[in-house]
Amino acid sequence: MSVQPALVVETVEATEVLEGYAPKPARSRFRVERFSWSGTIIIALCAITVLIPLYVTLTTAFKTQAQAVDGNAFSLPAPFSVDGFVEAWNLTNFPLAFTITTLVTAATVAGTILLASVASFAIARNWDHKLFRWSFYYLLMAMFIPFPVLALPQIQLTGLAGLDNPAGVTFLHIMFQMSFSVLLFTAFLRSIPLELEESARIDGASTWQAYWQLIFPLLAPMSATVGIFAFLASWNDFMMPSLIISDPGQQTLPVVQSIFQTQFSNNYNVSFASYLMAMAPAIVVYLFTQRWVMEGMTQGAVKG
Amino acid sequence: MEGDIDVPSPDRSFRRRAAAVLALALIGSTLGACAGAGGPEQVRFLLSKPEAIPYFRELIAEYNDSQNEVEVVLDTASNLQAGFLRGNPPDLGLLNYNLEMARFMERGALSDLGDMPEADRILPEVQDLVDQYATYPGRTSVLPYSVMAASVIYNKEIFEANDLEVPTTADELVEVCEALTDAGVTPFYGTYKDPWTVAQGWFDYTVAGMVDVEAFYDQMRELGTEVGPDSEVSFQKTFAEPVTLMQQLSDACTNADAPSKGYGDGNLAFAQGEAAMYLQGPWAFGEIAKTSPDLELGTFPLPMTNNPDDLKVRVNIDLAAWIPEASDHKEAARQFLSYLFQQDVMDEYNAAQLGYGTTTEAAPVTDPRIVGMKEYYDDAKFYQGPSQEIPLTIPAANYMQGVVLGNDVETTLSIMDADWARLALRQ
Amino acid sequence: MATVLGDVDLDLTKPSETAHGAVPRTRTRVEGTYYLFLLPSLILFTLAITVPAVIGIFFSFTNSIGFGDWEFVGFINYIAAFSDPAIVQSYLFTFGFAAVTVIVVNVVAFLLAVGLTSRIRFKTGLRTIFVIPMVISGIVIAYVFNFLFSNSVPALGQALGIGWLSESILANPDLAWIAIVIVTAWQAVPGTLLIYIAGLLSIPGEVYEAADIDGAGKLAQLTRITLPLVAGYVVINVIIGFKGFLNAYDIIVGLTAGGPGTATRSIAMTIVTGFSSGDYAYQMANATIFFLITLAIALLQLALTRGRSVL
Repeated sequence: MSVQPALVVETVEATEVLEGYAPKPARSRFRVERFSWSGTIIIALCAITVLIPLYVTLTTAFKTQAQAVDGNAFSLPAPFSVDGFVEAWNLTNFPLAFTITTLVTAATVAGTILLASVASFAIARNWDHKLFRWSFYYLLMAMFIPFPVLALPQIQLTGLAGLDNPAGVTFLHIMFQMSFSVLLFTAFLRSIPLELEESARIDGASTWQAYWQLIFPLLAPMSATVGIFAFLASWNDFMMPSLIISDPGQQTLPVVQSIFQTQFSNNYNVSFASYLMAMAPAIVVYLFTQRWVMEGMTQGAVKG
Repeated sequence: MEGDIDVPSPDRSFRRRAAAVLALALIGSTLGACAGAGGPEQVRFLLSKPEAIPYFRELIAEYNDSQNEVEVVLDTASNLQAGFLRGNPPDLGLLNYNLEMARFMERGALSDLGDMPEADRILPEVQDLVDQYATYPGRTSVLPYSVMAASVIYNKEIFEANDLEVPTTADELVEVCEALTDAGVTPFYGTYKDPWTVAQGWFDYTVAGMVDVEAFYDQMRELGTEVGPDSEVSFQKTFAEPVTLMQQLSDACTNADAPSKGYGDGNLAFAQGEAAMYLQGPWAFGEIAKTSPDLELGTFPLPMTNNPDDLKVRVNIDLAAWIPEASDHKEAARQFLSYLFQQDVMDEYNAAQLGYGTTTEAAPVTDPRIVGMKEYYDDAKFYQGPSQEIPLTIPAANYMQGVVLGNDVETTLSIMDADWARLALRQ
Repeated sequence: MATVLGDVDLDLTKPSETAHGAVPRTRTRVEGTYYLFLLPSLILFTLAITVPAVIGIFFSFTNSIGFGDWEFVGFINYIAAFSDPAIVQSYLFTFGFAAVTVIVVNVVAFLLAVGLTSRIRFKTGLRTIFVIPMVISGIVIAYVFNFLFSNSVPALGQALGIGWLSESILANPDLAWIAIVIVTAWQAVPGTLLIYIAGLLSIPGEVYEAADIDGAGKLAQLTRITLPLVAGYVVINVIIGFKGFLNAYDIIVGLTAGGPGTATRSIAMTIVTGFSSGDYAYQMANATIFFLITLAIALLQLALTRGRSVL
């Protein structure tokens, strides 16, 4: 559903033709698109710059320790070894950390979408009221506060509130995502006509019902986008869990993996194996949702 | 109307609810009591040295199996500052002891361990090292567990091949350097890409070879804001000579691609025999062994003067034990500490990690790679790295990296003085 | 279709015009549901962000080291920060770096977005590949690129006989920043790209069709039609991107550690290092100054683009 001038032009030609002449044969409307090979090649070359670092990470993860430190990053693993993965698995207690991280991230995504979407709706529909307008600016301004300013007080406050655990991290992740998510949602909401809600109201629906049954489903494309950003911010976050979570048995994956990042350790195969194990779910999630996001974006945008 | 609405009478439903709550409370408290009374006390043990983690994991498993009162849980990644701030730091820490840790100690965050029998077994000179950073009056807050001694690592085979002896004076060092260069061998392998290697090796060894580090920093701390070009001691005054020599040495006697080589590259290259000497600590031996396990290596202190009596080795307290005041499990933590400090446990650890023992009956070091430093250690001819006494907020390692890359020595040192004075002003 | 396009702007001060231009009747009373929607988030947000921020800023007026005793010292930290050459230098470097990177990222992302929404093969596959860098954490990227820049690139330079490329640019105080720009862009392009693709896809085909009929060439279409219509998205990307790059930390730590020397020491690096090594209050002052400057710049950017956010 992207912009495809070629096909569009075809349609126009067909209609013009229809105005005064016999219609063109049907097959002209199904003429195969001409692809731009030069464009494809250029883009493909650019894509290589993305794949090279990924390739290095992948091959190193499957090398033996001896081969990993031999300085030849581009060589293929020989012998092929899963030692790195085994050791990373054990050293980081992978299953537990993975589960915790997944729960935190999932909750962050859900919480962000829910809270930010309703708040944005309220703001967008009451723009002429000071409280709502100022709330928007207030939420946005917080995007610019550097994290170190907040870090230590947040540590103390979460400690006091009994939130020095993954739940506290989830809560903070959601709050940190609010600014950007509200920005995105409000921008998107401007393209949803008031008439829809008004006709629902005429039919007797309350604002609550109108929102959940009508607006929220329409927000799906932006929810997907907000969700992806929230997912990435939460999944890869190291700073906050390392500061907020007290109990080491409840730590998230990035923190647990940080033992590989000290200056004194060069277990490249183990550390890259660990990074891969953390990266893989994120990539998988992304692969599944990106289709949805793209489709949603196109459907949502080209309408009206 | 009766019969229309089938609602339990308020009386009955209240009683039902109350019963449910009571039952839950009973169950809950029983469970809690079970957990409290029957279960072992949990001790959170912080250890973040990656090489040591597998070793201590086993040790902890053994300890937990051997008794039922204390259960030790290994923590490898907690943020200390966060823990102290919240009031729930680990119960027992076994960490590198440095300026940053000293900050906690200075403010009384660590409990007194002086009454423990283990405290009496520590070598007095090693305990002094702890005090060099800061003290908390009346307490022995930290018990050193393992000391790493570092100096110049040299490749014995290359030295032999070129008929060279270990230099003990600065002049001999220059001769060795020249001889190696003439023979086409890189004398030192530099890894300037990683600033910490410059600080730990080049800066620390050269400066401490000529300067009394402890006395210098004592005076610097006293002078505080008055440090400058005219003060009695200062970086630009006291360190000018050694740092200039450091720059000369790094210019003349290292590999040309040092600026783009890091710690990992250095280990690899040295293991492959690309240079004769390497300014690194014993932690590098493990890495080097990954490539060349049979390489014959030895160590000697870097001579900076022509007086062999000035030779000293760089030490740092690689692992030291402490128990925070805020811990609720001090007794249990102490039990585990005693277990860790058993002599054979300490000896085994130090032997495996190439560390030096901190106790009076510590087993003597025998590994050929580090035995060259033994006499200096035994005579307490050691120092803690000058770079370690500079708070991290003054990027000394980066400054030194600039120097070996060619920056002007005087300018850099005067910048350090200005930074020091400014820091003293706001603290 | 002008109204659909008009909705993609980012003019935050316009009253909420609907997609069809009608201004809603001004409600004199706001429905309770809306309060229910907004207030919980607002309160939680204040607790989680504003309160700590105020506390953090408060500590910038003390000499606290992050825990333990402290005293109130007034504006000393701020005065000291302004006269600290290291801090000033970090600001100059970071702002310069952010400006360059924001340009690079947006140009590359925009062109890629145009490419990925045009007639090429393997569109879905390529789009997927290009978004992968966003999924990987900054530290990992930095390490891998560190290796590539220190070893593979110089090897390539030597093979091709290019002088300045034969030595690691990470070791060159004048060129190291280029490496940081490249790696930061590598990671930042995907996010920017997604937003641009959304923007491009919101342009209906009829617009191009009309242009084709009028005989406009591809380049003219790009500059006269596409660009103005995605202007709102450009504004979002530039504001957020610039702020993000000002906070550059992970990648710089992994690539150069602030080196060579202190040539690439960013503001965030200075703050985080000081904050975790006892220089807490001072760096809080630094962070507060940083916050105010960043905010001011964002507001400036918004004000400047207000007129141009719609076609």
